[in-house]
Amino acid sequence: MKIDCAFLIRVLTGFIRQELGKAGFQKGLLGLSGGLDSSVCAALAAKALGPKNVLGLILPYGDSFPQDVKDATSLARRLGIRSRLLDIAPMVDAYFRMVPTQNRTRRGNKMARERMSILYDFSAREKALILGTSNKTELLIGYGTLHGDMACAVNPLGDLFKTQVRRLAEHLRLPENIRKKKPTAGLWPGQTDEGEIGLSYEELDEILYRLVDLRQTKAEVAAQGFERKKVERIIGLIKNSEFKRQMPPIAKISSRTIGHDFLYPYDWGK
Amino acid sequence: MIIALAQISPVLGDVDKNVRLHLEIIDKARKEKAGLVVFPELSLTGYNLRDLAAEVAFLPEKDKHFRKLLSISRAVDLVFGFVEEDQGGLIYNTAAYLSRGRPLHLHRKVYLPTFGMFDEARFFAQGKDVLTFDSPLGRTGLMICREFLHLSAGYLLQAGGAGMVIVISAAPGRGASQGRGFDTSRMWELMGEALSFFSSAFVIYCNRAGFEDGMAFAGGSFVFSPTGRLLARAAYAEKDFLLVEVDPEEVRRARRRWPWVRDDKPEVILQALQKILGGHED
Repeated sequence: MKIDCAFLIRVLTGFIRQELGKAGFQKGLLGLSGGLDSSVCAALAAKALGPKNVLGLILPYGDSFPQDVKDATSLARRLGIRSRLLDIAPMVDAYFRMVPTQNRTRRGNKMARERMSILYDFSAREKALILGTSNKTELLIGYGTLHGDMACAVNPLGDLFKTQVRRLAEHLRLPENIRKKKPTAGLWPGQTDEGEIGLSYEELDEILYRLVDLRQTKAEVAAQGFERKKVERIIGLIKNSEFKRQMPPIAKISSRTIGHDFLYPYDWGK
Repeated sequence: MIIALAQISPVLGDVDKNVRLHLEIIDKARKEKAGLVVFPELSLTGYNLRDLAAEVAFLPEKDKHFRKLLSISRAVDLVFGFVEEDQGGLIYNTAAYLSRGRPLHLHRKVYLPTFGMFDEARFFAQGKDVLTFDSPLGRTGLMICREFLHLSAGYLLQAGGAGMVIVISAAPGRGASQGRGFDTSRMWELMGEALSFFSSAFVIYCNRAGFEDGMAFAGGSFVFSPTGRLLARAAYAEKDFLLVEVDPEEVRRARRRWPWVRDDKPEVILQALQKILGGHED
């Protein structure tokens, strides 16, 4: 779990610069929520590409999180990156007028996908690639909207647990209110990740690290003082969200099938 | 002799571009009076080829790029990696040592990592030999990346008399806890230091840099003297170019001081292995 932040920042900024460069891009963009992950990602991108080559889109739904909009705006200013504020309420409301629901998850997912749709349009408009901000914790337990906040071109944070991202944020000297903010998916007011998952990120990451990185069994993790029920629940979350981490299976018919035996590298020719 | 280590980041699957990159670096090395330029594993093709491996493979004697490098080797020795096709159509992860216009040695990787993030045995046929050869640096042996982590491969080069062990590598880094490059770089350095003592041989390790499909290659190429002295080390996790002066006479001096190689008993190893593998009845 220990990370050397200075070395890690060197690797991750190299990753952003080289992955974009290989694809023929100098610019990156990302959604800025005012939260920890997107703030760290923006700071890394500013270092990697130069602040003027980074665009942060601030995409609130109406006035539901005014503090986050303020934090995102001031972070963009602080980093010297370009930013633009767009309210997604008109697009989202237009849809839900036609297909009404009070289901918070459906509404929240729709908002996440609306943001994705705007990011991809700006990607083409600005000739900039989308930087993903999903961390390893979220990806492992499936705490993200498929084709929503999980959608991106490259993800520099996907192998860092939430608590490691927090350490990076300290090293990057991001403002305290961003670092100390209760993590939230922002699907509805008052929602917090830890409230919804039912575990603190500290405990969740310790358990995930043992299960995934150290390949320990449920019994081995439990023997170290973690509540067995919690460990089991986390294993269930990992298992049930595998579909979010893979391309959908293709029915194999021919002798050479995409994903089965048509196997090319992502960086093909780059 | 001055040896140049080219810690490059090849283009994945584009041999033309990579040959140009090799030529640039060879020029630079020759200006520095290098007698040998060492490139990383699969330096002509990139590492994570998957199905591309078969598409970038070539028969060395028939390939224009290989012939070009052969002609350059009249002026400077070259070690590089490529995908070699044989007459039967099998493809190998191969290291070449070219010198004075001739291929002195082609080593086909025997130990193909196929676990976790590695998938080499799925795409490459396995080499069968770990042999030494004579080069302008004296008795020399080649290893490719993972082979270096097998005691047996290093031992075979020692038994073959190598005073110069050249390892070409495409090792991705893992673990970022300590700030001196990736945590895995320590493992390679320890192995290099140990092998240089065991074999009283120079250990020249050339790794690559850059990213492929999110994998970060760890860099940190190094040279150990025959007495375990670190002569040079390249930057971690980024491109670099290293020049190291190597005196082959040091092998002789080291072996007078530490007679590990003289006192080795390969025939005992052979008999013991036959027993272990059930070839002999007691």
